[in-house]
Amino acid sequence: MPRISFCGSADHAVNRRAFLGSAAAGGVSLAADMTAINALAAPAVNGALKNNQKRVILLWLAGGASQLETWDPKPGASTGGPFRAIPTDVPGLHISELMPKMASRMKTTCVIRGLNTKNGDHGSGAQLMMRGRRDEAGLKYPDMGAVIAREMGLLESKVPDYVAFYTQTEGRGFAPGDSGFLGARYAPMELTTNNVPEFVRKLDGISELDHEERAGLRTLLSKEFARGRSSETLSSQNEAYQRVRGIMASEKLFDISQESQKVRDRYGPTQFAEQVLIARRLVEAGVPFVRVARAWWDSHGQNFETHQEMVPELDHIMATLLDDLAERGLADDVMVLTLAEFGRTPGINASLGRDHFASAWSMTISGCGIKGGSVYGKTDAKGNKVTHEEVDAGTLLATIYAALGINPHKNYYLGARPLPLVNPGIDAIQAVLK
Amino acid sequence: MDTGNHHLQSVREHMAAPKPDSLKLIKDLQRPVIQFSVARIPDSDAIYLGCSDFKVYSANLGATKFEPRELYEHESYVTGVTLAGLNLVSGSYDGKLKWCAIETGQVIRTVDAHAKWIRDVLASPDGKLVASVADDMVCRVWNAITGELVHELRGHKETTPHNFTSMLYALTFSPDGKLLATGDKVGHVVVWDVQSGKQLGAVEAPVMYTWDKVQRLHSIGGVRSVAFSPDSKSLAVGGMGKVGNIDHLEGKARVEVYDWQSGNRIAEFPGDKFAGLVNRLAWAPDGSWLVGAGGAGEGFLLFFDVANKKTLRQEKLPMHVHDFEISDDAREILCAGHNRITIHRLS
Repeated sequence: MPRISFCGSADHAVNRRAFLGSAAAGGVSLAADMTAINALAAPAVNGALKNNQKRVILLWLAGGASQLETWDPKPGASTGGPFRAIPTDVPGLHISELMPKMASRMKTTCVIRGLNTKNGDHGSGAQLMMRGRRDEAGLKYPDMGAVIAREMGLLESKVPDYVAFYTQTEGRGFAPGDSGFLGARYAPMELTTNNVPEFVRKLDGISELDHEERAGLRTLLSKEFARGRSSETLSSQNEAYQRVRGIMASEKLFDISQESQKVRDRYGPTQFAEQVLIARRLVEAGVPFVRVARAWWDSHGQNFETHQEMVPELDHIMATLLDDLAERGLADDVMVLTLAEFGRTPGINASLGRDHFASAWSMTISGCGIKGGSVYGKTDAKGNKVTHEEVDAGTLLATIYAALGINPHKNYYLGARPLPLVNPGIDAIQAVLK
Repeated sequence: MDTGNHHLQSVREHMAAPKPDSLKLIKDLQRPVIQFSVARIPDSDAIYLGCSDFKVYSANLGATKFEPRELYEHESYVTGVTLAGLNLVSGSYDGKLKWCAIETGQVIRTVDAHAKWIRDVLASPDGKLVASVADDMVCRVWNAITGELVHELRGHKETTPHNFTSMLYALTFSPDGKLLATGDKVGHVVVWDVQSGKQLGAVEAPVMYTWDKVQRLHSIGGVRSVAFSPDSKSLAVGGMGKVGNIDHLEGKARVEVYDWQSGNRIAEFPGDKFAGLVNRLAWAPDGSWLVGAGGAGEGFLLFFDVANKKTLRQEKLPMHVHDFEISDDAREILCAGHNRITIHRLS
C-alpha cells in the first residue's frame, strides 16, 4: 500500500491526488472540518489532554550519537575521550560535560545505559529500533510511531496522527516512518524539505468561500450518488476528504511565527530547534507521535569535534523542550525520547573518530509514566559491554508502550493471526516505570 | 622546539637545506596512546610528549629501549608541549597551562588559561613568551618566566556563520618572534604584532572549512596549521580541502601560502594523493621547501617548492601525525601521532 507523504522531495513526492487515493484506500476513519486548531493550545484543553491521551516526541539522533559523549561518559578510561563527566541533580549520576543543561534536569529523565541491540548497520539498525523487532517474510511490522498513532489517535482528530521531520538527506532513506501492516492510515506525514507540509495549502487562486462551496458541491453530488447505494468505498472517500480538510486547517501548527519571539529565541535559531518547537505545538494540539530527526552523527572522523558541535545543541533544545512542556502542564503527558539506530565504539580510530557500535549504548526517556532520575543498565569501565541490566530493542519498546499506558502484549490481528505489539516473552522494564 | 635567537635565525636562513628526495625513515616506535604533541631539546635525544591518556612524558630517543617516563598529568588530552627556557609548558583540553621545570621534572605553575579546549601551545623563538590558542577563540600570550598574561588577542568569532561554536586550532610565531599568526575553524587567519598585541593583517582560507547544510548539518575541517616563511613575508596555512562525506576525514590534504600583508594567495597545493588534515607545517631554513604532516586513517609528510608551486614529495606514514619537530638544520623530522612516533632523516 502506498505511503502517505506530503514532503514534496523527489524521492518521496506524492501529490494531493495520490494522497487522497491512498488515504481512501487505507480506510480513513476520521471526520470533520477543523479550523479552530489553535484552541487546543488553551490550558483547559491541556487539562483534558492530561486526563486522556499521552503524546510522544522522539528526538532521533540519526547516524548514531556517541553514548560516551552524552549519557554514559567514561572519563579517564583509554576509551573515554577528552570530555569530563559532570554531576547531575540526581545523586551519583554523571553525564558528559557537553550537557550541562540536562545535567540539572536529570530528575525528569530516565537513562537506559544497557542497550545491546546487536545491529551496527544504519538501515536495519534504525528499523530495529523503530519497530522493536525484525520484519518477517511477508510481514512488515509497524514502527512505534504508527503503533502510538493508532493507540493514541482520537477518532475525531483534526490533526495528523504521526508527523516525522527529516530534513537532512543522509540516512533519510534508511528507516522512513513505516506503518507496516497497520496500513496507510497510520503512516507518517513526512516533512523533508520544509518545516511546513507542502501540497496541503489551499491554492491562492481559490478563496475560502470557493473552497467551501466546492466541498459543498462535492458532498451534494456524493449524497445524490449514494442515495440507494451502500458502499464502503464511497464512505471511505468522503471521510478522506473530510480528514484532508482538517489537515489543511492544521497548517498553522507548523508555523512558528505563531509563537512569540521570546519562545522562538528560547529554543534557538537552528533548524533542529525550530522543528522541536513545531513538535511541541503539534503534541499540544493532539498529535500523538512526532519524530524529529537530527542528522547526522556518524562521526567516523573527528568524533569529538562533531559532538562538541552537536551535543550542546541537543542539550539546549532538549532542556528547553522539557522546561516548556513542564510550564504548559504537559510534563506527565508528553514523553520525550532520545534514540538512534546505535551508539559508537569505545575504541578511538586513527581519525579521532568512533565507529558503529550496538553492543553497549544509551538512550533516554523523559515524562509520562517513567521514573525520572532512574538509570537502567551498566556498562564496563571502558564501555565495551553491558555488565548489568541489558536491554534489547523489543524490551525498550515494551517499556515505552507501558509507560504510555499501552499494554505491550495487546494483540493486533492480521486476518486471524494475533500479533502482539512486541514479540512474545518480552516485557517492559518495571524498574523504570512509575 | 625553536629556542634560538636572531643570530641563529640568520645562520639558518643561509644554510642550504637538505633535499626532500633524500628522506628516509630511521625509526618507528609504537606506543598504544595518541601522541598529540611533541617537543625536543635541540641537538639532543630528549623529547617530551603530550598524550591522550592526559599525561606528559619525557623520553630518550637514544635509549636502547624506548620507555617514556610519566612526568605529570592534566585532566584531559594534552594537545601542546613547548620548551621555553628552562621550562616545559603544556596545554590541554582541560583549559590549563602547566609549567614544569625541565631539570627537576616538577610542575611549578598551573594556570587556568582558557575557558575551553586549548588546541596548541608554542614558545616564542627567544623562549621569553608562550602563546596558547583555545576554543574560547582567544589567543593568550604569557610571560614564559613569570606566567603572567601579556596579551589577549581577540580576532576570531565565537560562532560559525551557521550558529555553532567555532574552534581556534592553530598558531605560530614568525622566526624573528615579532609576529604571531592564529587560524580558526572557518578559515580565518589573523596575523598579530607580538609587542603591541595589535592585529596587522588577516587572510581567508574558506576552502579549509566544510559546512554540510544538506546531507549532515554539521561541519568539519578548519585551519589546523600555520607557518611563517624564514623572511616572515609568506604565511603557509594547512588543513583539508572540501569534503564530500564529512563522516570521514576524506578531503584532500591541503596547503595554501599567502602574502599575508596583502592577503593574496601566492600558492595553492590542493593535494592529489592523501586525504586528511595537515596538522603541522614548517619551512626549510633557506625557504627552499615547505613540509606539512598530518593524516586521517593513515598519515603523510608532504614537501612543497613554494616558489615554483611544485609538490616535491609525498610520503606515506604509518600513522596520523598530530605534531612534529624539525631540527634546526632540517635534517631530522620527529613525528608524533596515533600510536606511533617516527623519525625521518634528510641527508
